[in-house]
Amino acid sequence: MPIFEVFQQAREGKSFEHGGNIVAPDADLAVLYAREFYGRRQEAHRIWIVPREAIIELNDQDLLHPPAVDRSYRTVQGYSVRDALRATRGAVAGSAQPD
Amino acid sequence: MSEQPPTQDTQTALITLLTAVADDEFILGYRNSEWTGIAPMLEEDVAFSSMSQDEIGHARILYEMLAGLTGVSADKIAYARQPHEFLSCLLVERRKLDWAHAIARQFLYDTADHVRLEALSRSQYTPLANVAGKILREEKYHLMHGDMWLKRLANLSDESRRRLESALDALWPDALGIFEPLPGEEKLVAEGILAAPMQELQAEWLEQIAPYFEQLALPFPARQDESTGRYMPTIQPVYGGRRGEHTQEFAELWEEMTSVYRLDPQAVW
Amino acid sequence: MDEQARYDEFVKHVQSGGKVEAGNWMPDDYRKQVLKFVEMHANSELMGVLPEREWINKAPTLKRKLALTAKVQDEVGHAELLYRVAEDLGKSREDMLQDLLDGKTKFHNVFHYPTYSWADVAVIAWLVDAAAIQSQKALLDSSYAPYARTMQKICWEESFHIKHGYDMIVTMMNGTDMQKEMIQEALDRWWVPLVMFHGPPTPIEKDKDLFYRIKAKHNGVLRQEFFSKYIPKILELGLTIPDENLHFDTEANEWRYTEPDWNELKWVVTGHGPKSQERLDLRRHAYADTQWVRDVVLGRAA
Repeated sequence: MPIFEVFQQAREGKSFEHGGNIVAPDADLAVLYAREFYGRRQEAHRIWIVPREAIIELNDQDLLHPPAVDRSYRTVQGYSVRDALRATRGAVAGSAQPD
Repeated sequence: MSEQPPTQDTQTALITLLTAVADDEFILGYRNSEWTGIAPMLEEDVAFSSMSQDEIGHARILYEMLAGLTGVSADKIAYARQPHEFLSCLLVERRKLDWAHAIARQFLYDTADHVRLEALSRSQYTPLANVAGKILREEKYHLMHGDMWLKRLANLSDESRRRLESALDALWPDALGIFEPLPGEEKLVAEGILAAPMQELQAEWLEQIAPYFEQLALPFPARQDESTGRYMPTIQPVYGGRRGEHTQEFAELWEEMTSVYRLDPQAVW
Repeated sequence: MDEQARYDEFVKHVQSGGKVEAGNWMPDDYRKQVLKFVEMHANSELMGVLPEREWINKAPTLKRKLALTAKVQDEVGHAELLYRVAEDLGKSREDMLQDLLDGKTKFHNVFHYPTYSWADVAVIAWLVDAAAIQSQKALLDSSYAPYARTMQKICWEESFHIKHGYDMIVTMMNGTDMQKEMIQEALDRWWVPLVMFHGPPTPIEKDKDLFYRIKAKHNGVLRQEFFSKYIPKILELGLTIPDENLHFDTEANEWRYTEPDWNELKWVVTGHGPKSQERLDLRRHAYADTQWVRDVVLGRAA
């Protein structure tokens, strides 16, 4: 029997998350069984049911976490203004004139 | 029209109606839960269990409505009555752990119950109309399941078709018993609490499912009357349930169902 | 990289908390071990249904009937989820079910014992489930990721089981003398199977499931945790535990108890328990009777 992967959206507007999988003879019964195994406790607002064979997997770590180049320039953590800001504030405070 | 409890006269008939529908659900739920652990596939085991919980849950809602009308608690209504006080139809008390039988029964009952609930959702007695409307939406799942399985059994192999036809053949007379005229139903119809007499609802039901049976080339024991256009059964129904007349199978069911309760009817479990 | 080095790297990976997915390379030994573990777990969920299903018909109130039906439904559902995990490791569900029915694979000891009264249902729902949850928590972080994820779902679904069981017990212990006696009598029978639940104290070096981090805790540890959590709760209800030697050794910081006969456990899980064959027979007959349905659905029929 074909395997179907099941994705659940817990509440309206949220992301769909992979819940697990089921087997069913065909798509019709797959809908019923997905509701049973991934929705009978009213834990899903919406469910996607996808034949496993339709899923394409990317698992190449060289593509997903390329090891060589420092790519922190594209992250928030890649920037630190603390020291320069401290120096600037100090300079501004030192040259402030009373009104 | 009415949130008020009905007049004394009509109340007795209303209690009969609610009891019949509640008992149908309760006993069918009871039978369906007997598949737990032994259904053909684990997936169907879980599905039948959900349907069984729906049925018992629906019975509970109706028993609670009865509790409001009679002052007897829902649990007492379910467990303290004697077999002859149950008004369920004979279809739901039959015990046969055969898959074709289970699917055939489920299909016949759910499609009939759909017509009945639809009528009740138009009841002038508002509490009943509200409850029936909600239950109808829960029954959607049951209709989907029945539809999928009836088609598969009818079409996937000669053997499954043979078994299905044999099951339907055995169950049709009992299924007509769903619409056995209810004692006092004329009062309910007059007050708008029941949209139409049971026999008329039966005709509606037969008309609704006839095309289905035709498409699947399954034998259909009813015919459209040439002059009235109404669907009439061509077989004898099996009645008695609505008057509390049950089979040996029911007596055994009742024994088992109430065995722990009867150890001490005053105890809290 | 040669076989041995690859294996060693794998072991290092799982022992330091690394995860394995169904499609990953894994040593045959690991695959075999996980499959065996998950298969037994699946079998246990499935067979666990049978002691309790008898009582669905006899449940004495509407709420208890619904709750027991839902609990048992969960167990069937969990069997399905676990067979799915095992199937993705390379053994078909059909083969697993057949091996179970043929007595070639095992299921948990507790499900080989009879249930005599409604009190058994309460004791099982409370204490057997409690023992099971103890084990299951130790699987939430299993090295085999599909299993760990399934365990999270299972633990979430089972959260009401124990509450429901405890509710039944407390209700009866607060009830009539007959009810209290029924609970005590059931506990007297279930105590030793409960002590055996987490399995014999296998030497850690020999425990492959621990080695591969399929499970995170040793049997003995799980048992002690179970005792610490539940013995006080049992005693506070006025129940007695049928073991004169049972006490907490404050110096050793552990519970002391009468060591059960581990041969009995071995005997029971290999299909010789009081109800083993009867329950397997029920499933064998049901399975045979419904073969035509599976054939039809899988397109194997004429």
